[in-house]
Amino acid sequence: MFKKLTIGLATFLLVWMASVSAVVAQDAATSGSQMLAAEDAASREEFRSLDENVQDLKKEVLDLNRDLFLLEEELLFPANSQVAFFISLDVGEYFDLDSVNIKIDGKEVSNYLYTRREVKALLRGGVHRVHMANLKVGDHELVAVFTGEGPHIRDYRRGATLNFSKGIGAKYVELEITDRVEKQQPEFVIKEWE
Amino acid sequence: MKGLKNIVLGALFTVFAATSLASSGLVGQSAPDFALKSAVGENVRLSELRGDVVMINFWATWCGPCRQEMPLLDDLYTRYERVGFSLLGVNIDDDSSRAMKMIEELGVNFPVLFDSKKDVSKLYEVEAMPVTVLVDRDGTVRHIHHGYKPGYEDKYLTEIRSLLRE
Repeated sequence: MFKKLTIGLATFLLVWMASVSAVVAQDAATSGSQMLAAEDAASREEFRSLDENVQDLKKEVLDLNRDLFLLEEELLFPANSQVAFFISLDVGEYFDLDSVNIKIDGKEVSNYLYTRREVKALLRGGVHRVHMANLKVGDHELVAVFTGEGPHIRDYRRGATLNFSKGIGAKYVELEITDRVEKQQPEFVIKEWE
Repeated sequence: MKGLKNIVLGALFTVFAATSLASSGLVGQSAPDFALKSAVGENVRLSELRGDVVMINFWATWCGPCRQEMPLLDDLYTRYERVGFSLLGVNIDDDSSRAMKMIEELGVNFPVLFDSKKDVSKLYEVEAMPVTVLVDRDGTVRHIHHGYKPGYEDKYLTEIRSLLRE
């Protein structure tokens, strides 16, 4: 009788201990997963703030870059001493533009090769700023040499010269290529914008 | 004799390392723009190819590896041209007629440009032959290879495919 009671008690104790340990293990697992979730949320938040910081920094760099660009332009090309040279093409039946070489006071400042697409843009009425410089007040000489294909698909090379006076204030010079129908030849005109 | 060989190899290695460092500085930067006359007479401007993956291959007629590499590059060009891949072969010879002759001999189809004044090769700090530059669709230099060894074409292939997928 006593033996049966002892066995029963022992069985009860074993079952009780097993259930208690299961509950403890479950609690531990729950608290562990909660901790992991909290850590995950914290790291996500950290990443988000880091990303925001990077975005802010990027914006600041872009702003700074813009300011520097404007400052550089103002310093390098102050409006008062600025001279800009533009190329335009009118009709262009007698001349297929290939390149323009510009010399100011005997010094080569630009040698620009035109692609098919750029020539098309010029023919549609576009104007290309081929060079921008700063010149002292006074007299200057501009020599522009145009190369391309002339009438009867022949290589064509022509120069045009302009003596101009640079006063105070910006100056704009247009190098215009037009067709002279009566001579069936291209014409190269350099004119100053007022 | 062995000592001399080592010295020569050492010097070559130093030169190669120096040149590698020189133009490798362009990786990650915007590819310097240029316009050059092509073998077919038209002018080609790099910036007009924006949107394409562009390979710029600097070569010369006196460069043996270039001769070996060009037909392989032509294969890549033929294969990927229709999916937005451009290849510009920039020849740096003083006399472009030699280059024309070599193009005919090799039968390559990609556009060949002449940089006889060496303006563009200076822009890209080319100091070894050949030099191959890969520019992505946004116009950024992504890879630069100096010289050519058999097997480089596989590298090019992997890089082109990866840039085309971007």
